[in-house]
Amino acid sequence: MAGLPLPARAFLPKRLNLRPADTPAVLAGVIIAVPVVSVLVAALFMGGGEAWQHIRDTLMLPYLGGTLGTLAMAAFFMLAFAVPAAWLVTMHDFPGRPVFEWLLILPLAAPGYVLAYAWGDLMGVGGPVQSALRDMTGWSARDYWFPSMRSMPGLAFVLASGLYPYVYLTARTAFVSQSICALEAARSLGASQLRSLWSVVLPAARPAIAAGLALALMETAADYGAAEYLGVPTLTFGIVRAWKSFGEPAAAARLAVILLVLVVGLLLAERWSRGRAGSQQSSTRWRAVSRTKLSGLGGIGAAMFCLVGFSIGFLVPVSRLVWRALEAREYIAPVGEALKNTLILAGAGAAFGFVLALVIALAGRGKGPAAAFARLTASSAYAIPGAVLALGALVVLGGLGLTLTGIVPVLALAWVYASRFTTTGAEPMVAALARAPASLGHAAESLGASPLRRAREVDLPIALSGASAGALILFVECLKELPATLMLRPFSWDTLAVRANAYASDERLAAAALPALLITVAGLIPVILLSWQLSHSRPGEHTHES
Amino acid sequence: MSHSLSAIGVSRAYHGVRVVDSVSLDLKPGVVTALLGGSGAGKSTLLRLFAGLEPVDEGEIRLGDRVLSSTKTTLAPDKRHIGLIFQDFALFPHLTALQNVAFGLKLLGKDAARTEALAWLGRLGLTERADAYPHEMSGGEQQRVAIARALAPKPAAILMDEPFSGLDPALRASVRDAALEAVRAAGIPALLVTHDPVEALEAADHVAIMRGGKVRQEGPAAEVYMKPVSADVAASLGPVNRMAAADVPSGLADVAQGTELVVRPEGICLDPSSNVHASVLASQVTGAMNRLVLDAAGQRLVALVPRHQAPKAGEKVGIRLDPALSFMFPSAKP
Repeated sequence: MAGLPLPARAFLPKRLNLRPADTPAVLAGVIIAVPVVSVLVAALFMGGGEAWQHIRDTLMLPYLGGTLGTLAMAAFFMLAFAVPAAWLVTMHDFPGRPVFEWLLILPLAAPGYVLAYAWGDLMGVGGPVQSALRDMTGWSARDYWFPSMRSMPGLAFVLASGLYPYVYLTARTAFVSQSICALEAARSLGASQLRSLWSVVLPAARPAIAAGLALALMETAADYGAAEYLGVPTLTFGIVRAWKSFGEPAAAARLAVILLVLVVGLLLAERWSRGRAGSQQSSTRWRAVSRTKLSGLGGIGAAMFCLVGFSIGFLVPVSRLVWRALEAREYIAPVGEALKNTLILAGAGAAFGFVLALVIALAGRGKGPAAAFARLTASSAYAIPGAVLALGALVVLGGLGLTLTGIVPVLALAWVYASRFTTTGAEPMVAALARAPASLGHAAESLGASPLRRAREVDLPIALSGASAGALILFVECLKELPATLMLRPFSWDTLAVRANAYASDERLAAAALPALLITVAGLIPVILLSWQLSHSRPGEHTHES
Repeated sequence: MSHSLSAIGVSRAYHGVRVVDSVSLDLKPGVVTALLGGSGAGKSTLLRLFAGLEPVDEGEIRLGDRVLSSTKTTLAPDKRHIGLIFQDFALFPHLTALQNVAFGLKLLGKDAARTEALAWLGRLGLTERADAYPHEMSGGEQQRVAIARALAPKPAAILMDEPFSGLDPALRASVRDAALEAVRAAGIPALLVTHDPVEALEAADHVAIMRGGKVRQEGPAAEVYMKPVSADVAASLGPVNRMAAADVPSGLADVAQGTELVVRPEGICLDPSSNVHASVLASQVTGAMNRLVLDAAGQRLVALVPRHQAPKAGEKVGIRLDPALSFMFPSAKP
């Protein structure tokens, strides 16, 4: 502002006093926002074409119903398992509890489509479960009814089994950080344990649980691979199809807007819940949870409950894929090329996202409106399904007259990856900077450091201490993303995710198993980082940080 | 050649509340000035105005003849050449002790900066800790590194915001003495913001008492303690007995109507020949002195007397006032 002549200064609204130093943050926010904005623009201003009429009249309701039904059922499955599991693990002691505490997070490692391949194979007519049933009973395949994975409940079950850790994690954190004093007060007033759970603990944890559920449902809505494989029409599936089969970005954009409304609703629900979760703690005194010991049948029951959840979300599907891969080794196609493509594309996306994340984190130190804008944009874009963002990039490329040849698709994909995942890289850095006291910056200034030197020599090293985890998470997220990669990849460039999808669609599950497993192994890295972080930062325990 | 750092009629308001209200304060070279006040008194804000971390709404901050802050301009903190020391020390976590101290010595060049930083660490007894990172050091060591870092670039003044309150009480006095010795040796204006009257009186040469955004009194430590200008100032430097004229036990002092009597606990002396009597309600050991709670004709008084003279609870004693430690002020309430 200092450089502006006075009359201009008088006209600028006080809240929007952007400085030249804010330019990078504003630019980062714009880069992130353009794909989703261009989808909105396309939906509003580009005609839908003939395809849109067809989609609107015959497909839209099934798509919308598929997404809403899947969301509702997945929410039910996740709440029914994750909340009791978190309660058992935080408030009770039973055989295997310390192991289950982190085992229950592992299902986050496998993307929904990988779980869908494994469960579809396991529960299919030719799969081991039904074969065993026929062997035991002597029935033929037509003699009995068996729940089909290739249905809306099946899709909800598969997605919920991989995404429940979001709910488990937030519920667990809420239970751990609750005031034990309030719980004990309830008990001393004569409330039974069950009644205190119902009337004191759950109401206090409800905002946190709702926030976790909203996150998990955003991922549910974003899924493409599982819905496609299990043959359930959903909005995301419809978006990819409208673009792929009808070649109609505008029609796809209109479907995307419906999905966006749903996602923004979830996003607002999450923000609102999280805001409320912050004020739930009234007692400043913290006491370690004293766990109730469950012995005998109770203990075995609790362990079985946790084991079932972990098995459904991780152990059984991953074992099935390993089995399939080993069983038919001769059918395994080489994955070297796909691995290389994955490293290049996810690497490009992670690198671009990392730069944007760094810009946002360093700007956040200044706490201005520019930084707030960039952070909000980044965290909102994370909620937008990859298919929608890819569509936005296609609209922009079309507007510029560019085709998916040469370096263009690589850059476009890196852009979409960065748009969606920058926030996962930025937040650890923002957190690292937030932990450093404000006086560090003042100290640097009092020692004569210019703002630039301060950013370079004080803020940057501190931000980078949170960066390695952020960069890794960014990379893995890019590598797992399927629909955007399918839509934007360079011609005949298959990544691991694309390969797994293609083989699975051809019912060549033995060949799909290896790339799917590789993705899962990569997905384990951030999950293990997360569980390590959890076990090292509990309220009331002071970590020795510099 | 050091100059005074002066605030001339400065004010600063947040949301219409004047946190610092027309304050003038002169920090003289080679003198440690304590700025004493409770929380919300405005003392940290005044320090931030001196440092240039915030602009002034009224008045000026000057170093000698040079204007650092006025309503028109605020010289950036990094251009002021004023050292800051924080309660949390604010050492850069990714730099060693030596690198922290060398941070402000950029202009010297690498080798000279290293030599100079090592010399400063040596002066504060930290030569062995040069390569340690902040998290590997004790609180006292971190504090001394912070002092060395602030003084190394030869600042024109130094400002300290509650610098010792984060330290272990057992350690505090010795770290404080070492730190302030180095500050005095630098011969520059020094401001010590504190809420602890004992620290202000023991450590500073000059004391300014701040309350409600205004400096209520300033002067040499002994003078402010012995000649407070108001009952509130007297109370902010330590515990006092306050009595309205009507409540003063008869014979203890002549107090005119509409006047308040303020007596420090050590100003109430035991005197067997006195005809003012009090009964001892409690007698507590507090170190070298005993704290007596007395009842004199219905008025509760607190006295500090040497332990060997202390009576036991339940005894009757004669008391008189030490005029040097008793003050009279017009009553706040008529």
